[in-house]
Amino acid sequence: MSSVDITGELPHGSPGPSLPAPGEADGKTTVAERRRVKLGWIVTFSLVLALLGLLGWGLYKSSTGPRASGLAPDFTIQSYSGQTVTLSQLRGKVVIVNFWASWCPPCREEASYLEETWRKYKDKDVMLIGVDWVDTPENALAYIKEFDITYPNGPDVGTKAAQAYRIQGVPETFFVDKHGSLKGVQIGPLKAPELHRKIEELLNAD
Amino acid sequence: MLTEIGLISLGLAALLTLYALGAALAGTRRNDGERLIESARRAAVAAFLLLTVASLIVVRALVAGDFSLHYAWEVSSRSMSPFLRVTALWGGQAGSLLFWSWLMGGFIAVVLAREWTEDRALLPWVIVVTTGTLFFFEILVLFVSNHFVRLWENPATGEVLDKLFAPAGWVLFTAQDGQGLNPLLRHFGMIGHPPTTYLGFTGFVIPYAFAMAALITRKSASDSWIRFTRRWTLVAWAFLAVGLLLGGRWAYDVLGWGGYWGWDPVENAMLMPWLTATAFLHSVMIQERRGMLKVWNMVLIIVTYGLVIFGTFITRSGVIGSVHAFTKSALGPLFFVFIATTLIGSVYLLWRAWDTLKSENEIDSILSREGAFLLQNVLFLAVAFVTLWGTIFPMISELIVGDKITVGPPYFERVNMPLLLALVLLMGVAPLLAWRKQMVAKLGKAIWIPAALALGLTVLVAALGVRQPPALVGAWIISFSGLSTLLEYWRATRATQRAYGRGLPAALWQTVGRNRRRYGGYAVHLGIVLLALGVIGSKGYQQQAEAYLAPNQSMQAGAFTLKFEGLQQFMAPDDRQVTQATLGLYRGSQRLSTLTPHKDYFAASKQTSTIAGVRSTLSEDVYVLLAGWEGDNATFKVYVNPLVNWVWLGGILLTLGTLFAAWPAGSTQRRWSMVLSPAPSAAVEG
Repeated sequence: MSSVDITGELPHGSPGPSLPAPGEADGKTTVAERRRVKLGWIVTFSLVLALLGLLGWGLYKSSTGPRASGLAPDFTIQSYSGQTVTLSQLRGKVVIVNFWASWCPPCREEASYLEETWRKYKDKDVMLIGVDWVDTPENALAYIKEFDITYPNGPDVGTKAAQAYRIQGVPETFFVDKHGSLKGVQIGPLKAPELHRKIEELLNAD
Repeated sequence: MLTEIGLISLGLAALLTLYALGAALAGTRRNDGERLIESARRAAVAAFLLLTVASLIVVRALVAGDFSLHYAWEVSSRSMSPFLRVTALWGGQAGSLLFWSWLMGGFIAVVLAREWTEDRALLPWVIVVTTGTLFFFEILVLFVSNHFVRLWENPATGEVLDKLFAPAGWVLFTAQDGQGLNPLLRHFGMIGHPPTTYLGFTGFVIPYAFAMAALITRKSASDSWIRFTRRWTLVAWAFLAVGLLLGGRWAYDVLGWGGYWGWDPVENAMLMPWLTATAFLHSVMIQERRGMLKVWNMVLIIVTYGLVIFGTFITRSGVIGSVHAFTKSALGPLFFVFIATTLIGSVYLLWRAWDTLKSENEIDSILSREGAFLLQNVLFLAVAFVTLWGTIFPMISELIVGDKITVGPPYFERVNMPLLLALVLLMGVAPLLAWRKQMVAKLGKAIWIPAALALGLTVLVAALGVRQPPALVGAWIISFSGLSTLLEYWRATRATQRAYGRGLPAALWQTVGRNRRRYGGYAVHLGIVLLALGVIGSKGYQQQAEAYLAPNQSMQAGAFTLKFEGLQQFMAPDDRQVTQATLGLYRGSQRLSTLTPHKDYFAASKQTSTIAGVRSTLSEDVYVLLAGWEGDNATFKVYVNPLVNWVWLGGILLTLGTLFAAWPAGSTQRRWSMVLSPAPSAAVEG
């Protein structure tokens, strides 16, 4: 499959069908050349269809959207400060799972608000988990330091959690109630007072 | 009331566009289709006027602060300056789509209002392709993200909804104030980036439409579609370049990571059509001169336009996870149909007209202008393909191995940098090559002067302390290309001087004025040389340092010393809480300047923006970020970006060169007419 895709753009750059065939410009085409041109067209059309197929598949996947209800998929992260956090061991707490990356400008927009919220609620039954998606540890640590983030943050190894939650990109934040059920998702940065409101709502629900 | 007028204008514009499409199609099928085609042309121009009305009404709502309009509430606010409120027209998705349609409508109107004397047969099909595209965008504006959605309140419950029309019993709700434009976007780069990008993207619809018209009418053997659209292509290309540069500048000033280019999917989406368009701009010259590469040029314009819509699609649909693309909407499926139709339709038309695209000549020698253009094309496409592959790779890896693997900047840089450097080298050699066949001895004579001078400069650079081999190779290539281009100006000016006995400035002016396409092009080449200098310096030799400092402590970054002199906190007038550090910048014991990096906290939106303190010179930028603080102590991150200013200077030269090359010559070429001159009876084919 991948070898087919490597040639994906080659019709535009390969001497395949697109280039004038040297030495055969005078209207008389040989059988071999006609076959070559025909093959070139078949390849070109299949590649266009393959690209469209890929886009269509991506579109279908993104249209199913992130998981927003049902039991929250379990995951474990090793935080950068050495803690091990497992979602299923946090029953009884409202859990906010935030996917982010240090290279993501919109994540910066919400970073202070997340930390501020954490400081406000950390003594209640609330847990905030930062899942660092497709990132390098140095940049991630610099980011954590820059925003003085104190809740546990760890890398999403093998993008397992990201796939289980079907995230579309970062930032994305999932809200998990005390019983471990997903109660909604925020795509894009959180703004005040959305998170406070959501936490209050989940704290008050039984 | 105005809102209703705007909505009606929008609807009428869509209907007129659809009418233009149908009338032009019908016109091609009849022998007396001339009047139909004429009315289609007028309808398309009228559609643009109606789109203008709709856009102006939105601008009025933004400026006047009519917060009953959902869009105005979302992107405008009372504290924003009137200028910023106007720019909010492209600050949100709905805004950008209407703005996009308006620009495209404008391009179409201008192209159709031109006097069509030659190649009348292309006209109806140009109308069909352009209005078809415009109609698609108008449908998106009307049904997916409409500007005229208002806020409604249920008087009984106090509930507020955003809908086009009031549900029974609900009343219009006017918000006290709007949310306002995202503070991170309030920067000249982000104000200029969307319009230039859109101008670039929508501009390509014109050459594409002409190419398709040529294929449909089987006039593709002639190069008239290329001559007609040369200027359009140049202008669209230049706008893309300016958009890329403004986006980079914004990232550099506002995002606070010390760089201007991160190979993000959305950045790539914009770079790819620019690369293929660059290849197209060059290879059309071979078709004009030698009647060669006809298929190739068709393929290039199809690929460029395809990449333009592909770029729009991945930015807007959320198919590829990106920092810029978190806006998810119902655009995806509609856009998918549009892309599929465009790609399959274009390839089908190419296949149908295949026999008209036979080359009139053959390449005589690889060592010739044609050969150089061809190599240049291959290199540009290679960079475009490498970039495309890296951009869609996460999707492919997820499809095959189930894990989303992002390749990241190192992949792009390692693979693309040698290719780009090869292009810069080629840029220095190609103008020296003759058409058809180049004598090696003659080339040697032309090439040795810049080559030797460049070697001299490289030795000088080495003497100044640069020792890394890649940097020295880069220095030689850049100086060779730059000198070789400058020598072209010099030789031609000297020739003019000898022939007419003028002074040097007058001779230079006469030379470049007589062949603006060539010498404008060379100015663009010089711009690229400067840009390459900036990219190599800032990407290859950036220095970083980080330190936690107490007041009066110092840190070292490259050749510089930074002394932390104190921290202040204050409220800025626009509701911003500013934490600002003051640092003295020294080289040795000499104080160069005072830098004040700050972190702004926007209380209303709870957003932070990190603004660097920068000392910017032609040799390097010292770029300091206030990363955090504790009491009186603070953490700083410092980047020393060598030569980064040459990126922007090169960009400016590139833009000026393009303008010079594309500026219409004299008044004779600019004739507008809303009445078609009586057509030669055979002009319209059935």
